[in-house]
Amino acid sequence: MAVARKIKPEKADVCIIGAGASGAAAAKVLTESGVRVVALERGPWRKRESFGGDELANVNRYNLWPDPLLNPRTFRTSEDEEPQVELFCPVPQMVGGGTIHWQGWLPRFTENDFRLHTIVGDVPGTTLADWPISYDDLEPYYGKVEWTFGVSGRAGANAFESPRSRGYPCPPMPMSRYAQKFHEGCGNLGYNSFPTPQAALSRPFNGRPATVVSAFAQQHGDPSGTRSSALNVFVPDAVATGRYDLRPDCYVREISLDERGRAKSAVYEDADGDLVEQEADVIILACGAVESARLLLLSRSGRFPNGLANGSDLVGRNVTFHEYSAAVGVFEDLIYAWAGGGYVSASSFQFYEHDDDRGHVSGGHTAAAGVGIPLPINWSLPEGPAWGAEAKQTDRDFFNHSMAVAMVVHDMPQHDNRVELDDRVKDAWGLPVARITLSPHENDLAQGRFLIDRNAEILEAAGAKKVDKVYIDRITGNCSHQHGTTRMGDNPETSVLNRDCQAHEVENLFVVDGSPFPTSTGANPTLTIMANAWRVAENIVWRRGAGTVTTATGKEE
Amino acid sequence: MNQREGTDGDRLFFDEHQRATVEAAMARIIPTDHEPGAREAGTVGFVDRYLSGIDFIYAKPDGSGFEKLEGRRADAWRQRVDVLREKYVEGIEELDRRSRVQFDADFARLTAEQQDRVLADTERPERQADPEQAQATAAWAPVEPALQQTSTEVELDFFLLLALHTRQGFYADPIYGGNKDRVGWEVIGFPGPASLAEVHSGRFSTLDYFAEIREHPEMEDGRGA
Repeated sequence: MAVARKIKPEKADVCIIGAGASGAAAAKVLTESGVRVVALERGPWRKRESFGGDELANVNRYNLWPDPLLNPRTFRTSEDEEPQVELFCPVPQMVGGGTIHWQGWLPRFTENDFRLHTIVGDVPGTTLADWPISYDDLEPYYGKVEWTFGVSGRAGANAFESPRSRGYPCPPMPMSRYAQKFHEGCGNLGYNSFPTPQAALSRPFNGRPATVVSAFAQQHGDPSGTRSSALNVFVPDAVATGRYDLRPDCYVREISLDERGRAKSAVYEDADGDLVEQEADVIILACGAVESARLLLLSRSGRFPNGLANGSDLVGRNVTFHEYSAAVGVFEDLIYAWAGGGYVSASSFQFYEHDDDRGHVSGGHTAAAGVGIPLPINWSLPEGPAWGAEAKQTDRDFFNHSMAVAMVVHDMPQHDNRVELDDRVKDAWGLPVARITLSPHENDLAQGRFLIDRNAEILEAAGAKKVDKVYIDRITGNCSHQHGTTRMGDNPETSVLNRDCQAHEVENLFVVDGSPFPTSTGANPTLTIMANAWRVAENIVWRRGAGTVTTATGKEE
Repeated sequence: MNQREGTDGDRLFFDEHQRATVEAAMARIIPTDHEPGAREAGTVGFVDRYLSGIDFIYAKPDGSGFEKLEGRRADAWRQRVDVLREKYVEGIEELDRRSRVQFDADFARLTAEQQDRVLADTERPERQADPEQAQATAAWAPVEPALQQTSTEVELDFFLLLALHTRQGFYADPIYGGNKDRVGWEVIGFPGPASLAEVHSGRFSTLDYFAEIREHPEMEDGRGA
């Protein structure tokens, strides 16, 4: 590959590919520990002024989503099927990544999430595995993220939460009417419910003002700059050290190897279309589970003909995506489930933990949510025609009176559910796109039905006059959560990374997004992604001190 | 493609007949009742402007105008608008063809009831004949709350596209040319921002629409309940 008319940049201590939740968290930890980081982000570095309250632009016209004409993916349910071009599980591709468009529900995982295989044993058709780390290993990092990122919540309110060493830095966000209904429904059924821990500030904290509670929140960028996001918090923290060289619009095409089989450099196309080679002692992938796997698969060499660190043929396999669905209730009274964007919520872990009596494995986080995002542009409601007088009346009846009780399915990892390179479709930069092959496991569907039924009961118990259930019959990647493509484990034959999220086969290569997750769990993943990235970054700092990783600054080998 | 200068200087796409046809069809998708519908909201102007080129794709977030698209992004949008234009030109011809076969007149001249019949016929065969199209339908008009926009407009058939654009023109921010005088928001009771600038500046807050009691209740431990 021809590289660089430009002057080759100086070698970095660490090169991080991606500046979203995990990449920015790792950058903060590394740079604040004195490490010089170059970050290569394929998307733009947008400033808060570039975001607005515009559902048409943000949701329909790819102002935040990847444009499928430029960055498509393909999808099929099995090897026998012709892949179709689809925006499967899109995440904003820009500095800040998924934290740009989210409303940030940030529950912790529980102790049992890390040992589900021990609890339930083998589940036929799945590759269910324990994590090589425990809740206790992550607990301190949960606290660090909650306190530096800025999370509002109430410690102890979730009766099923595992022990925590610190409370939340801010009290819960104010109670929305839909959160109130959720509490009422749960209370009437004897279920525990709690204010959803959120990536927002309920009061000024750490020099930042309280978060503006707009209606344009979930799936919208934040023009006020007051939300807790990688863009608003971790990136500025890292920049402030003077050791974070964040280069936007730099699209990494491959990771090259040196003669010893270590990762040598990231080769990228910059905004001018020039190829540049960035060498580093350590390379960290933080592109999201789909794109990190894709980049490894794109990085072929004599030593790794099937993709970097992929001697096991496991890169891209065991991918999990969650799936978001809900029961929708209509109430006589006013719910205003667009206020706060529909996601300033209340939650329950009542059906989160595994229970043998249910006949399926594991469970999920359920929570109150809006129905539109926020307007009735992109919703459509059960029953009735999609147009005409009746449809208009439905919009009118539902907008201020309806809400969802939503959940994410803890989808089981399966060997044949995988991310590969598509052999026909290329992106606008000429690189093969990610091809997803995936079918749900029967456990995913059974668990989804169970949770949706419980959610419907919560709505009924809250006094809804009408409830519709939306069951899951397939996994569509509809909640932008992605995990598992380079699972971590102690056995190199069944995992790509070790417990430090370091590639078994390439000692200076790490992955810190959702890719290392052996299981997806039933909870929103980003808090754990950030906590784990923090843990991994701290380990890298420690190794540099201990001399197990060579550094450009001449520290001991 | 035919283009003409609008009275306000905007470049527009439809000729008069096309515009009248789309306006009439949209008026059946969100009809006028005791409150304004698509006609009063000006949804035809919204889509006409959308199809006029790539100058009105993204409003500037402070409402001060529209973004100028460049590079790959502009290429993608030019490609997309071309596809959409073709769908409209052909879709309008198809509406007229069906109208003349059934009622011996162009669509725009039919009664509201006749127009509903033609639109229903346009919608239905596509849903039944082709399972893949039924999926596309499900992706846009599903029995589910809004999740994320994983369907893409260029894949929708004309009727679904028209229905989606009617909703967009009725409910999207007025800066895009529809939702005139915010009538779409008045119909559903959305006390939306006065302008994009109000959101952009951080002044737009919805806390008045939260629960009167701001504190979440202390809940009982539900374990074993």
